[in-house]
Amino acid sequence: MPPTITRRRLLAATAALPIAPWPTRALAAASWPAIEHAARGQTVYLNAWAGSERINAYLQWAGSEAAKRWGIKLEHVKISDTAEVVKRVRAEKQAGRSTEGSVDAVWINGENFLAMKREGLLYGPFAESLPSYANVDTSGKPTTRIDFSEPVDGMEAPWGMAQLTFFADSQRVPHPPRSMAELIEFARHHPGRVTYPKPPNFHGTTFLKQVLLERSVDRTPFYAPVATERFARLTAPLWSTLDALHPVLWRHGKQFPATNTDMRQMMADGELLITLTFNPNEAANEIAAKRLPDTVISWQHTAGTIANTHFLAIPFNARAKEAAQVLIDFLLSPLAQARKADISTWGDPTVLAIDRLQPADKVLFAQGSMAGSVVQTAPALLEPHATWVDAIEREWTRRYGQ
Amino acid sequence: MDTTLRPVKAARGWGWALPAALFVLPLAAALWLGAAEAVDARAWSHLLSDTQFAAALAESLWIAVASTMLSATLCVLIVTRLHGTRAWQRVQGALGGWLAVPHAAFAIGLALLLMPSGFIARLLAGVAGWDAPPDIATVRDPWGLGLIAALVFKELPFLLWNVAAQLRRVGQGAELERQLQIAATMGYSRRTAWARLLWPQLLPRLALPLLAVGAYGFTVVDMALVIGPARPPTLAVLAWQWLLDANAATNHQGAAAALCLTALVAALAAAVVLAWHAVRPAARQRWTRGDRPSAARRFEWPWAGTGAAVYLAVVLSLLFMSIAGVWTFPSLWPSHWTLQAWAGVAHSSSTVGVTAVLAIVSASTGLVLAVAWMETAPAHWDARAAGAVFAPMLVPGVLLVAGLYQLSLHSGIDGRFAGLWLAHSLYTAPYAMVALSPAYRGFDPRYQQTAHALGRSHAAFLLRVKWPMLLAPLAAAFAVAFAVSVTQYLPTQFIGAGRYATVTTEALTLASGGQRNLAAAFALLQALLPAIVFGFAWWLGRRQARRLHAVAMA
Repeated sequence: MPPTITRRRLLAATAALPIAPWPTRALAAASWPAIEHAARGQTVYLNAWAGSERINAYLQWAGSEAAKRWGIKLEHVKISDTAEVVKRVRAEKQAGRSTEGSVDAVWINGENFLAMKREGLLYGPFAESLPSYANVDTSGKPTTRIDFSEPVDGMEAPWGMAQLTFFADSQRVPHPPRSMAELIEFARHHPGRVTYPKPPNFHGTTFLKQVLLERSVDRTPFYAPVATERFARLTAPLWSTLDALHPVLWRHGKQFPATNTDMRQMMADGELLITLTFNPNEAANEIAAKRLPDTVISWQHTAGTIANTHFLAIPFNARAKEAAQVLIDFLLSPLAQARKADISTWGDPTVLAIDRLQPADKVLFAQGSMAGSVVQTAPALLEPHATWVDAIEREWTRRYGQ
Repeated sequence: MDTTLRPVKAARGWGWALPAALFVLPLAAALWLGAAEAVDARAWSHLLSDTQFAAALAESLWIAVASTMLSATLCVLIVTRLHGTRAWQRVQGALGGWLAVPHAAFAIGLALLLMPSGFIARLLAGVAGWDAPPDIATVRDPWGLGLIAALVFKELPFLLWNVAAQLRRVGQGAELERQLQIAATMGYSRRTAWARLLWPQLLPRLALPLLAVGAYGFTVVDMALVIGPARPPTLAVLAWQWLLDANAATNHQGAAAALCLTALVAALAAAVVLAWHAVRPAARQRWTRGDRPSAARRFEWPWAGTGAAVYLAVVLSLLFMSIAGVWTFPSLWPSHWTLQAWAGVAHSSSTVGVTAVLAIVSASTGLVLAVAWMETAPAHWDARAAGAVFAPMLVPGVLLVAGLYQLSLHSGIDGRFAGLWLAHSLYTAPYAMVALSPAYRGFDPRYQQTAHALGRSHAAFLLRVKWPMLLAPLAAAFAVAFAVSVTQYLPTQFIGAGRYATVTTEALTLASGGQRNLAAAFALLQALLPAIVFGFAWWLGRRQARRLHAVAMA
């Protein structure tokens, strides 16, 4: 469940950014034991999206561990939209408050990260000098170092993985569509029962990007900045697909649900047949919570779906920078990552390379498949270059948004 | 007697300046800072060229005008028909409970009832033979009908409550009966007497509550998010989304939209006042024409029963949804029940404590400010203060909050309880003032003259005579202010830096995760706290009325 839910307009200004081969090491020369020592007794105000009580419960557990091990007090500041935090830290900077900020750590990615990085609102680089970072699967999971085309540069630490996943009740959808072509065919046979969240909602825009990548023969142009003169030609497959799809969508494609969480509920009610998520284990998790029947199944399109990573960052004016680093290091440890990946706890996939772990740590991740989890993982597609997002959202709003 | 009165008057002096300053200074600073964000030419050009702007504005205007007209018409109809009957007593008794249900909670409950997979659709499914929820926009409909319905159900009790407060002013009840009797002896039916004699006097006094209703319908965000139109959303929702965006330029566009809303509220108010003055001469001719329309007996709609049924259905649907697990359509009963949501509520019991303490402290502050103003400033100054008093109700919440946040940041009280207390008090004070002023200003001055003539000090008069006699309206005003504090979302989240979770912030963050049973449970909790206080106020008022009655009898 990525913390960014809204627009990504700021990316419009993004030029092609070279990816640094190796980010500079942490700015603080302080040794890790010294950081741990300084962290003792500090309070970390972790600002994190709180729309799920399971995530909240997980953070509560992390807080009790941090208190036991390092005497760090974790306060989960519950927010509904990470943009609130960007706004708050920016306002604090404008008011000249460069220490004693109200945020010590924030759950972040995408547009919010880009805004904070660009405006110098972040502390770091710190991520790659955390002891636990050694186990992060940077080669197998390249999105841990490139966040929506923006080089991470150690300004945020990867926390969990996300990949576009569909789910439905197998009682109503016994043969789920495993490609965009099959999804269109399915929608034609079940008019009014398929839809996607209204862009610029995060999941809605992701669906558009998925359509674009799946319907285009050559994907390479999408990994370079958008060129105005080629935009119409390159995105033509997207609009022709949507023109074909919209008449058979929910409310004839004249209205769209606000979020994918609304869609999950509508799917549970039977109003929709298929919904989508970024957490491959969301359905399994909801089944465990008895909010979805255990006949729900999850799948990804065989040829691959869009994947990304969500992160933890520290604002430039955080009061407890040491404790925030110690806490983030703990959240990256095999113990905390395994618990997070456990479907009955949260089910958020790990950023670690499990094969690189000690045998004792590997065992922590051993979990059999549960009802509702993805059986066959599809290849991960990288997010198109960030400049495409705004261009696609604008064109979508112009064509279908009124 | 003169010598006794003089020192009291002298004591007034500049006393009013303190409550006024405590309220006006932070308010003015916040409005200034909020409006300053909108002073940006590019923001306005972005706003005006935004493809959604015109449609969203038209939608907002339609919703505000329709909901206000409908609420006002129903209010006039109900009071005319029911006043003086037992049903009016029942309606008055129920008003407190209806007012206590927060707007957002009501909208959530109503949406759950009306949605295509809601209870009503399931009942119809058996008849219509649906095996899946119908593909019809019953909530979030493009015409905003769901939002208009929710607004009318919430604003009608507020208007009725204002009428009741006007009629409760000392002497008003008797005067009204006298006028009705005179009209009756002259051969006018009761309805004609109301239409030609009483409403022309009452409506101007209801101007500010009506304006508050219109402004609320125009600028409401939380209800619109739950049950309002989605494509395009209302302008207030757009302003709110833009103000919360991660992009600073979009924030300025949001501030411009909020300022635009404020200007339009003022323009609407001016238009209504002008229209009133324009139609008055023609209306006056009609009122004084002297004909006697017959009093046709019509079917009497059970207003109190309808209102009670809707509110009961909304509360029951919230309760039901809070414990419903897997519930496939079209079964009327869930296949799984779950108490997880309530376990979650029990787990965050500290939020209930924070909510209650904050509401008690800021409602008390609001009440003290209102009483201090009315004790120190003469009654005819109320009109002058009206602009400031109504500003927090009329200015779109997003703009005021943006300013309040800047203010708290510069004074270093953000993320602290003191900042929240200040911010909430700015909202509770005007509501306490509006709720209290009819009874307080209408207090018979002869009690004061008598007390002073008997040599009692002013303090003794207040403590032993005036405040005990006004206990019921004081308690009711406190309850209103308490409810206002409980429902604040934006000020709590921003000025508290998110560190103080209340039942309202909790409900809205959980709602962002689409967890329906948790959202329903917190919505109920949001309604329950004010309901307890309203119940207590009602009980106090009744006990005091009995005691006063007993004293009068003795």
